[in-house]
Amino acid sequence: MTDTHAIDTSNSAHDDEHHGGSISTYIAVAIALVFLTACSYWTYTPFWPFGDNVAIKRLWMMAVSCTKAMLVIMFFMHLKWEANWKWVLTVPASIMSMLLVLSLIPDVGRRFQHASHERMIYAAERPALEDTRQDEEMDLEEPLIQLHSPDEKTPVNH
Amino acid sequence: MSDDHHQGFDYQPALPIPNGKLCLWLFLSTEIMFFAGLIGAYIVLRFGAVNWPSTHDVHLVEYLGAINTAVLIASSITIVLALEASKKNNAATARMYMIITLVLGTMFLGVKAFEYKAKFDHLIYPAMPRSHIYEKADVNYAAAVRARINALVAELPKAEDRTELDNEKADVVESVRVDLDKAELLIRNKPDSPDGRIALWELADRIYPRASVQGHHPVAPSMAPPSSNSGPAPHEPAKAASTSQSGFTLVSAESNDGHSGGHAVGLNDQYSWLRLPIMIPGGNLWASTYFLVTGFHAIHVIVGLIAFSILLTMNLGAASSGVVENVGLYWHFVDLVWIFLFPILYLF
Repeated sequence: MTDTHAIDTSNSAHDDEHHGGSISTYIAVAIALVFLTACSYWTYTPFWPFGDNVAIKRLWMMAVSCTKAMLVIMFFMHLKWEANWKWVLTVPASIMSMLLVLSLIPDVGRRFQHASHERMIYAAERPALEDTRQDEEMDLEEPLIQLHSPDEKTPVNH
Repeated sequence: MSDDHHQGFDYQPALPIPNGKLCLWLFLSTEIMFFAGLIGAYIVLRFGAVNWPSTHDVHLVEYLGAINTAVLIASSITIVLALEASKKNNAATARMYMIITLVLGTMFLGVKAFEYKAKFDHLIYPAMPRSHIYEKADVNYAAAVRARINALVAELPKAEDRTELDNEKADVVESVRVDLDKAELLIRNKPDSPDGRIALWELADRIYPRASVQGHHPVAPSMAPPSSNSGPAPHEPAKAASTSQSGFTLVSAESNDGHSGGHAVGLNDQYSWLRLPIMIPGGNLWASTYFLVTGFHAIHVIVGLIAFSILLTMNLGAASSGVVENVGLYWHFVDLVWIFLFPILYLF
């Protein structure tokens, strides 16, 4: 066991020699991260030049997020300077994560396909008017006058 | 299997890193999948939902999310600097950076708590019985509003004992009751017509107006007569029938008015004692996923802060640099998760 410890320590010391950048590198990365956060927020401002195309905005925000994630992983988490073991631990987990998300995607289509008519009606921003409405105009003032009567607190019982 | 024979082997670790760091990375691998599941579920539910509330509909504030992102980035750099100082056996400097990281992490939680309170103040909770969110303005919603009105009326003193404030409360409750009566009468008399649903929808909009359906301009009900319609006019069938469109517009389209941050003011905002049920299509699913994802992230932040607190009781010299590095890796992962949560929750 003593030998194992010796190997671990030497590896650690060996790693430390190569791990990490300079403090100026870290500060530059932090500034880049703040700048990229502002880039995400850019889509929210009137200065965004590409109109209201939702797909472009979302694509941009995801690209910015992925770039930020890569900066954090490579520099702050030191993977840029680590040996090849980093692939053993990170790649399988990343693949499993992507598969997990991708395997959920069919549910998206299914949920759209099976939305009931009633659900679609009530999901409207405002209940949809029907064409028959013009033919059925009614005077709403009359029931209102009745309802103002103090004797009639609850005119409808469900 | 004597000891002599055993010692003849030259053991090599499976990976050329300390065991603690290996364990931490294995743990982070499971964490990647854990949060991928949560975020994946959020994405599936969000884009698969027939309707989903916009950020302003549920009182999320974008700049608070951006501030929290900046706070976490700042804490990431301070923990890296703490590690560098620890490697150089500069324990005092490492401790200083560790304290700054702890403060920044606490600040993140403070902002998050402030945001949670904003939801709770608007009766947005992840589950019943506290949640007052109804998915649609139907007879169940009308019954809930009526139950609340009856409770408020029961709380009022007799007419001769009422103060001016009580009279004001009575007027507000009565105005809601009138609108509710009108809607329920329409539903009863014309069950096949959308008029009743429209009237009920307009009452719900008066109680809790959603920014995404206010023509992208926040509207204060006080600017309109009590029984007027603050939503689109009934003669706009094209817009009226735009089913689920609000789920596919970015919140940036609602930010024309900077005074209220895009949030619309309703009766529940004007009269905090009113606490009437609110109608947010997709609101319950949003609340469940929002509180689940941000809650788990907040738990990870709390665990990180506890780890920092424990580290602060130790000497952060070179001998502790391995532990500082491991805790730092964990903290960077927490930052990493937030990098994706910020745009998905606040800007999508």
